[in-house]
Amino acid sequence: MFNTTEVYIVAHSLVSGGRHYEKGLKELFAEAFLKVLDQVGNSNLGAVYVANAFSEVLQDQSVLGAFLSDYVGLRRTPAIRIESGDGSSGVAILEAYNMVKAGVYDCVAVVGVEKMHDVTSIKLNKALATITDYEYEGFFGITPAAQAAMAMREYMLKYGYDYEDLASWPIKMHERGSKNPYAYMRKQATLKDVLESEVIADPLRLYDAAPAVDGSAAVVLCNKPLRSDAVVRIDGIGIGAYGTYMGQRDTLTELLSVKDAVNMALGMAHSSIGDVNLVEVHDTYSILGILALESMGFVRPGETPRLLSTGALDAGNKLVVNASGGLKSMGFPGGASGMYEIVSMVMELTNQKPFDSLGNAGLGVVQDMAGFDLVSTAIVLRRVT
Amino acid sequence: MVEQKLSVPRYWRRTPQYYRLEGVQCVKCGRVYYPPRAVCECGSREFKPYPLPSTGKLLNFTVLYSVPAEFEKMKPLIIGIVDLGGVRVIGQIVDCMNPEKLNPGMEVEVVFRTVKMDGTYGLINYGYKFRPIENC
Repeated sequence: MFNTTEVYIVAHSLVSGGRHYEKGLKELFAEAFLKVLDQVGNSNLGAVYVANAFSEVLQDQSVLGAFLSDYVGLRRTPAIRIESGDGSSGVAILEAYNMVKAGVYDCVAVVGVEKMHDVTSIKLNKALATITDYEYEGFFGITPAAQAAMAMREYMLKYGYDYEDLASWPIKMHERGSKNPYAYMRKQATLKDVLESEVIADPLRLYDAAPAVDGSAAVVLCNKPLRSDAVVRIDGIGIGAYGTYMGQRDTLTELLSVKDAVNMALGMAHSSIGDVNLVEVHDTYSILGILALESMGFVRPGETPRLLSTGALDAGNKLVVNASGGLKSMGFPGGASGMYEIVSMVMELTNQKPFDSLGNAGLGVVQDMAGFDLVSTAIVLRRVT
Repeated sequence: MVEQKLSVPRYWRRTPQYYRLEGVQCVKCGRVYYPPRAVCECGSREFKPYPLPSTGKLLNFTVLYSVPAEFEKMKPLIIGIVDLGGVRVIGQIVDCMNPEKLNPGMEVEVVFRTVKMDGTYGLINYGYKFRPIENC
């Protein structure tokens, strides 16, 4: 059978990242999910996909989907939890997309939810270390921050940058975040703030790291749009992988899983890099945002810090990078972070506040990634009306 | 009874790696892997043990101040990527009081150290770490 079903994002919502001590996973999930449920009215949700990375480690909870869906009254709706580390959201979208595309369900919800602040920061570090190869990396104390730091050092040496040059990423992201009411970090940052911030893993500083937050964000995917204006369609979706152990990589300055994912997604969308107006990258650390942009081919290798500081990737240009302020501003809610990127991109494409000045951008790419170049996804979204 | 945080079998089965840095070499094409794997890039599934050399070169490093819970008392950790006869291994760099003296290309040797321990009376996990040959 020849299947031509299209997949649309018909509803979206997010709970701003923060320290939501009064809310558990269930309450956070309900808050984001019920908002999209209200937007789609009587649409029959065939299933719920839950993107979450750490519920076993942080909340002692497995089979998370079942407990969350029952809480919102969906006792008989299957809820499938997708775990792919901090890249869980992109994979959840991919799985949900496939079910709608294949005609199994007319509509499905995808909800990312994570509570990072149920434990102390040293315990959170332990949870984050599970994103590494635990037997050969995490066992020895290696964390994602250490991996990113070494990539940053290699990048700086390779392209002759000083730390100050790379500070353009956090400064730009804070600037964008200061104008985004959904952001967690809503104040501007100066070069002095960045340079004086605590060193996490030399040369990486506190300002290079997206701040851990509790959060939840949701979308509903359907096989037809529910309204006639500001319709966003998923035109392509891709996934890539590139090995695991850090020692097996020839270079730390190219993310090959990201490259494969975006090529697959753009191919499916019959589009090329040059057609894309907006991109949201997974900047858990500044350097990973930079490498993602360059690995996808949006920016020539080594050019990102320079282009950022000249404003060439700001609103009003051919390509706008992380109009939301990225995870640096939105916060890093573990496995839910990709959902924040998706929801931001939907708002950007449909010119919702605070993105009403982005103009008629038609095509956006969202990039999500687990760990250091382990598994990545890229999603091409198009505004069709 | 003391709460056991470290698992005995999980650690014990990896002692060839943790104690001797034992990688594997493909019997067909000669490629060497660390950590060991089941299938070679050439498609072969036949490997023999291949202990890595005990000296090598530092390729990249970072001084990590924000560490997982069990390393809290040892912080900061120096984490580095080391080339041991063409195979890259990531691990801790020790016996270096002045990390600013570290440089890519520096000679390092493999040393056997405590990695983590389960309180005062519990299990101790040992493993390889790397030490700069010249004073650091």
